[in-house]
Amino acid sequence: MRDSWQERLRVFLLHRIPLAVTFALMFLFCMPINSLQQNYFRPLIGLICVYYWVLKRGYIFGYFSAFCVGLLMDVYSSSPLGINILTMMLIVFITNISARYFQNASFGLGWLLFCIVGLVTLFLKWLFLMLYFKSWLQPQEILFAYCTTIMFYPFVAYLNVWVQNKFLPQERINE
Amino acid sequence: MRRRNVPLIKVSDLKVVLRRLSAVLLFIIAFMTILLSKVDSVAIEAVHKVVMDITGPVMQVVEFPSRVIHRIYTYFYDISHIYSDNQELRAENKQMLILQNKVRTLEVENQLLERLLNYVPPAEATFISAKIIAESGDNFTNMLLVYIGDEYVQKGQIVMGDESVIGRIDKVSGHYAKVILVTDINSKIPVVIERTRVRGILSGNNTETPSLIFTRSSADIQEGDVVVTSGVGGMFPSGLPIGFVSSIKNGEIAVETMADISRVEYVRIVDYGLSAEDENLQSELMESENNAR
Repeated sequence: MRDSWQERLRVFLLHRIPLAVTFALMFLFCMPINSLQQNYFRPLIGLICVYYWVLKRGYIFGYFSAFCVGLLMDVYSSSPLGINILTMMLIVFITNISARYFQNASFGLGWLLFCIVGLVTLFLKWLFLMLYFKSWLQPQEILFAYCTTIMFYPFVAYLNVWVQNKFLPQERINE
Repeated sequence: MRRRNVPLIKVSDLKVVLRRLSAVLLFIIAFMTILLSKVDSVAIEAVHKVVMDITGPVMQVVEFPSRVIHRIYTYFYDISHIYSDNQELRAENKQMLILQNKVRTLEVENQLLERLLNYVPPAEATFISAKIIAESGDNFTNMLLVYIGDEYVQKGQIVMGDESVIGRIDKVSGHYAKVILVTDINSKIPVVIERTRVRGILSGNNTETPSLIFTRSSADIQEGDVVVTSGVGGMFPSGLPIGFVSSIKNGEIAVETMADISRVEYVRIVDYGLSAEDENLQSELMESENNAR
């Protein structure tokens, strides 16, 4: 029996929740904190969310969602358009490979995996930016970004776990 | 017995193939976007405009609670420092009164000399204020999003905090403008050392202290020298303060910016009466100056 359009719409909207949560968190972390110095400590929320949702619900959070997240990151930074898009899509690529083995991993293992995935992707982003600007960029920035993002991972991941249990509890929702 | 018709490709397989193809396509689009960003394409500007106009109202809502918290913090901070601030201001006021007399005398002298030389002064700069609604969402860049549209500002105009330059307009949409701070790696501003009139380019490097580049190695520059805009290229008025030389090590000159970003809620955008097309002239001038060196 074919699903009614209401059911299809419900499933469609449910599948957009991870992207909506990611956008909401990104907006929240873009709010002015009135300090240039503190900007270095701003965590890369998009990175955490993309990693989490690709690992846990890869079938609803794929390359297109990562593309949208990267586009928003590019517009809300002065980095060239496309750099964050490429970085976010690389996370999807790397996480998709690891998801085969780590989808049901414990929270701690997921965090450990994020430490590796985050480091690889931020390092690649750093390389892309240096290639683009053809100049040396201070490695401290990547380390600050990496450390704060790693520290923020539990908070953002727990929020995502709550959203996942509340709205997307099943392994697959009537695709 | 009739045999069932088995399709050549299963629908599920086709879905997987399409998904993979779309991923490859998105990777190609991302690469193309980076290449287009390099040439500063009109399409890239349009993408920025559309995304900024769509997401700008959300940022305005998010910005409000943050601003309230910051105001409360600033209020109590100011109260706790009221006595020391008062002492400092009294001392400063005494110095200012002496300076005021000197300025008056110099102004009269300047007017007389201008008349004698038939000097044509540059156009008066006008200012427009705008509210900061977002900061960079990225550690690698330093930018602000301000609530002002293309009706009032245009690309390339200089942006000031309370008293000094903090950046320039990079992108403008219908209601929002993106400001690249002087500390950002994309920022290049023609400057001059106020004391010795040595010219250079203030180049952002994503740290708190941008570098002064393209200055002669023998140039007379000391720690504490004030750095102001040179006005080369015509996009920026000359004489606007940016910062002061904080250190000179192995020929690398670091400049500390004067603006206290933590106190800036509104920015002033300077209109010098020139259009964005003149930016080409500015870059050409900067390039020829660099080549000459």
